[in-house]
Amino acid sequence: MTDGHPWRVHDLEITDVRCWNHLSIEIPNGLVVLCGPNGAGKTSIIEALVIATLGVSPRTSQLGELIRASASVMRVTGTFSESRAHDMTQHREIGYASGVGRRLSIDGAPVRQLAQWRRPSSVLVFMPEELRAVKGPPAARRRGLDRLLEAMVPGFSEHLSGYQEATTQRNALLRRARSTGIDPASAFAWETRMATHGAVVVQSRRDAITELRPRFAFWLEALGGGSGGVLELESSPSNLCAVDNDALVASFVEQFARLRPRDLAAGLTTTGPHRDDIWIGIGDRDLRRLGSQGEQRTAALALLLAHRDLLRAAGSGPILLLDDVLSELDPGRRQALLAALTGDEQVILSSADPDVSFADLPAETTIFQVRDGVCHV
Amino acid sequence: MLTPSLERLIAELSRLPGVGPRSAQRLAFHLLKAPNERTLALAGALTQMSERLRPCSRCFSFAEDELCPICQDQRRDRTLLCVVEEPSSILPIERTHEYRGYYHVLGGALSPIDGIDPGDLRIDELVRRVDAEGVTELIVATNPTMTGEATALYLSDLLRGKVQLTRLASGLPVGADLEYADELTLGRALLGRRVLE
Repeated sequence: MTDGHPWRVHDLEITDVRCWNHLSIEIPNGLVVLCGPNGAGKTSIIEALVIATLGVSPRTSQLGELIRASASVMRVTGTFSESRAHDMTQHREIGYASGVGRRLSIDGAPVRQLAQWRRPSSVLVFMPEELRAVKGPPAARRRGLDRLLEAMVPGFSEHLSGYQEATTQRNALLRRARSTGIDPASAFAWETRMATHGAVVVQSRRDAITELRPRFAFWLEALGGGSGGVLELESSPSNLCAVDNDALVASFVEQFARLRPRDLAAGLTTTGPHRDDIWIGIGDRDLRRLGSQGEQRTAALALLLAHRDLLRAAGSGPILLLDDVLSELDPGRRQALLAALTGDEQVILSSADPDVSFADLPAETTIFQVRDGVCHV
Repeated sequence: MLTPSLERLIAELSRLPGVGPRSAQRLAFHLLKAPNERTLALAGALTQMSERLRPCSRCFSFAEDELCPICQDQRRDRTLLCVVEEPSSILPIERTHEYRGYYHVLGGALSPIDGIDPGDLRIDELVRRVDAEGVTELIVATNPTMTGEATALYLSDLLRGKVQLTRLASGLPVGADLEYADELTLGRALLGRRVLE
């Protein structure tokens, strides 16, 4: 595993985020446990790490909500590196002020666009109150998969944004055609662009699901979630599942044209890769809707480890951020999870359990005590 | 502090692309110091341009007469027609000295988001020219952007069968190093590779 380029965070500085007034910590390699009572700010540290790498919070879409009650500006900075040798170190900074907006920089140089600043493969995050990757809306599952593909498939993000741009143009055309009665004949030009980009998007998603499926099943079983875990791409339109990769473009062109009257009435594009979903289940039971809280947790964790395996195989080890992951696992599953976490990647997990059975933890573990506004070893 | 005429000049200058209020002020003070005949020459050039320039009645580039200098040139190849989005695209193509046909300016690219439909571009005029002028090859030189590509697709569907349609190739800049090429451009260059003669 040493030939990969695992991500590392070396230090983190948080100013006026949630309950933290100011926090500056150095984060060692190996397994890091943030330990402390509820409400001490463990999750906020994990959240800050996500913000410092992806630029968005896993808990809210409004960065403004993160600003500490009596402050007006929040700031997160961190030193990250992409390989063990520290030769690719970068100092990342994100600030947010209500009314002013977001400020991003890398090594002190301002970066305008989030797309240039964010590092989609650098962290994988698990938050028990969220589980959006399993039980959230289709968009949440899609986004998880697309983030993985952005990191692994060169050109994927260009195709995805190309598809989105062409779809936005087609929607604008359909809406205006609906209100003014103009002929939407030029829609086919946008449909052709949507088909070209959309086919690459769908093909990449299919490939990723094929790679993830056995890994997901493996981890689901290892974590006690039972055997027979299945991932499946639910394509939109649904009959697309039967179409070979080579025929995707032609199939999209035909379907978009055929559904144009319906889309015209709706004023938007009703089918396409922007409506794809991922089926997550055990056998033929749909865990997204029918799974218990515990099953969904285990599935989310198994999916995260499957993503980790795939990124690892591609030579890019993400930092694993696992919030409150041990609490609901029985000792056997806890052991299985901890065994899964002994790799080359940095793992940061939080626990409210005052006496985590530290005997279980590997030797190279650092424990931070988080309480009363401080965080120390 | 500023006089009304100076304020007006600064306001007009700051409408120009890439000119903010500060550089507008700097330009205005520069003009203030310049000799009278220079500022009058500039004013004269502006007046003349806005009075004399109008769209060419054939290709919709800019002209001072009925036709632009290119459309007036009888020695050009009548069978070649190059479609561009804006008149500003003509100059770089002319500088290549590789093209001896005529042009047609669409006046933009399809973009429903901005309310630009086929009816807002000079597409009917293009179809009429293709029919009337004996064009055998139509070179679609819209920009390689989302809107430019969609416009090219629209034109190719509209004119297929009437005329041979070609599209400008995408690829590597001459004299550039492969290692600095972005994936998208290099990918296109690979797809559009040619047999070595």
